[in-house]
Amino acid sequence: MTRTLLLQQVLNGLAIGSVYAIFALGYTLIFSVLRIINFAQGAVFTLGAYFTYALTGSRFGFNGLLRNAAVPLRLPFILALLGGAVLAGISGVLVERFAFRPLRARGADPLLTLVSSLGVAVALVNVIQYLFGAEMYAYPSDPFGHWPAAVNFGTASEPILVRSIQVMIFGVSMIMVALLTLLMNMTRTGKALRAVAEDPVTASLLGINTGRLIVFTFFVSGFLGGVAGTLVGLSVSIAGPYFGISFGLKGLAVIVLGGLGDIPGAVLGGLVIGLAEAFVPSQYIAYREAVPFALLFIVLLVRPQGLLGRAVVQKV
Amino acid sequence: MRVPATRWGATLAAGLVLAFMAGSAWSQAQPIPIGIAVAQTGNVALAGQEQVLGAQIAEEYFNKLGGVNGRHIKLVFQDAGSDEATAINAFQNLINVAKVVGIVGPSLSQQAFAADPIANRAKVPVIGPSNTAKGIAQIGEYVSRVSAPVAIVAPAAIKAALGINPKIRKVAVMYAQNDAFNKSETETFQSAVKDTFKLDLATVQTFQTTDTDFTAQVTNVLNAKPDLVIISGLQTDGANVVKQLRELGYKGLIIGGNGLNTTNIFPICKAHCDGLLIAQAYSPEFKSKINDTFRSMYKDRQKKDPPQFSAQSFTAIQVFVEALRALDKKTPIAGLDLAALRVDLNKQLMQGTYDTPLGEISFTPSPGGEINQKQSYVAQMKMDADGANGKFVYVK
Repeated sequence: MTRTLLLQQVLNGLAIGSVYAIFALGYTLIFSVLRIINFAQGAVFTLGAYFTYALTGSRFGFNGLLRNAAVPLRLPFILALLGGAVLAGISGVLVERFAFRPLRARGADPLLTLVSSLGVAVALVNVIQYLFGAEMYAYPSDPFGHWPAAVNFGTASEPILVRSIQVMIFGVSMIMVALLTLLMNMTRTGKALRAVAEDPVTASLLGINTGRLIVFTFFVSGFLGGVAGTLVGLSVSIAGPYFGISFGLKGLAVIVLGGLGDIPGAVLGGLVIGLAEAFVPSQYIAYREAVPFALLFIVLLVRPQGLLGRAVVQKV
Repeated sequence: MRVPATRWGATLAAGLVLAFMAGSAWSQAQPIPIGIAVAQTGNVALAGQEQVLGAQIAEEYFNKLGGVNGRHIKLVFQDAGSDEATAINAFQNLINVAKVVGIVGPSLSQQAFAADPIANRAKVPVIGPSNTAKGIAQIGEYVSRVSAPVAIVAPAAIKAALGINPKIRKVAVMYAQNDAFNKSETETFQSAVKDTFKLDLATVQTFQTTDTDFTAQVTNVLNAKPDLVIISGLQTDGANVVKQLRELGYKGLIIGGNGLNTTNIFPICKAHCDGLLIAQAYSPEFKSKINDTFRSMYKDRQKKDPPQFSAQSFTAIQVFVEALRALDKKTPIAGLDLAALRVDLNKQLMQGTYDTPLGEISFTPSPGGEINQKQSYVAQMKMDADGANGKFVYVK
């Protein structure tokens, strides 16, 4: 393998990996606080992409209930992205209200909350298809003005090209992880969140409003999902209502690999899986889906707490 | 008065028997039920929605013309999903519960290999609207299709590419390896490249229809420095491959297989779709009375030209209607019981020649049910400057 090709594959891997990382951040935030897996994250991610699409004033297709409808305002793309993310955040809060809170109030088994979030995911996807049809949607071209299609990290004679949108997704996922780490470690809210994560009952005894913090967590997680959905939609278009679901399982592998609930770990897990996929030999490339799970299996055997996770000390 | 449960049961059973007997006699007033089992949900729902639309247009059109010699047809829809199990379920429902005379479906070749044998055993005619893999017509004598197999349309596209750029030597092939149709299509393309046109097959790259990122495959293709890239995939993945090839700097010609034969790829590859060559079993530009009517009926509803999927499902319904008409003239179908009608209908439809939106078609006698299609088409996509819209332009 030449140096150029090696570098190209590394950059390809980082580019794919940052998509996984950006998806997994919302997952991992909820896990870090509530110790539950929110399978509806994939559907919220999809919703975020659709909301942004609607807010740009683009028309829906002919096959859903909202045939040919359009929101009567045409926001610039960046505002639509933020608006879509806020709406996705609200959807996250609604998911919490209907799929998680009733079960938590009853002190139900965590397995039940997993199943309930899976149920919400399937229901949401079907509602999306009912409303918007199964067609693909794509954002207007050049949403950020006139960008080149790809960035050259090599020389003119030996180009190493990476698609601009992938460079951007990488940048945004790095910014998000930095902000989330700051939020968790440097702010009062972060401290309170960590207290809730440690022990919700004690936290509320200490005067922390647990319920409100949980809603906040779901909002932030939905918001991140919405941003991620829009950016991935910008990269590969919104391939219909099922588009976020396919990331769900891989996102799970990413957060387990990185260390469940560990925020930098989610990004590291995503990048490691992306790199591993990029180096699958070309004749087996279609089987690369197996890579994250094989990797996960090995990590679980050797380092069960994940790459960055701390080993849980058994309390006696 | 309290009626004992057993008596209720007996009454119910008697009622069911009566209902069943009434159902088996072909009363003149009832419309004739034709089953449609296509993908209304799942990852090929987009194609399925187009098929539903084509069939609905056919229902409206033929009923307006008097249906089957004065008696209307009625489409019975059962969602065949995008997987084998749902398709099987849909077929069983249509055969045993809805008691249709014949079935149009399923959407994918992969599903056809699972569901068609059920109809074949029950002696119910099935017309595949979009199954193009090798071996569909061989499933059994009750299975036919109106979708031309890839073996016929693929070489025409390579010929057209060589017409545009006679210097093509190196060819890269990319295909979705988790889909029966695309696997069979790529075999045809690859053998046409090597054996028919004696070109150099520089690299073969695989992907999955569910993939969205193809940078690794595109990197490998660009490394092989091809003059032509041939893609066999479904619409979403296929269009993303085209987009990512162009964004990463590929400048040569691209041929898209049958899966990319739809205007639905425009929103994804936008301006990058320009110049894409597509081998087609249908062209909206084809001039004939029935195609003009179909095209304008479709355009009234969707404000765009009909894709191949809609044209093929229209055609499948048309074959059933015209075969029913011909059969009714020979032996009035009102006098036939359902089992006999299904058998006779299958015999009749295999014999006819049909003037359809796809052009003139008929079926081969052996193996029975393979389509004979007179016209085949190669189109090139021409996109508007902003890439939002475009059209297929015929390549002569």
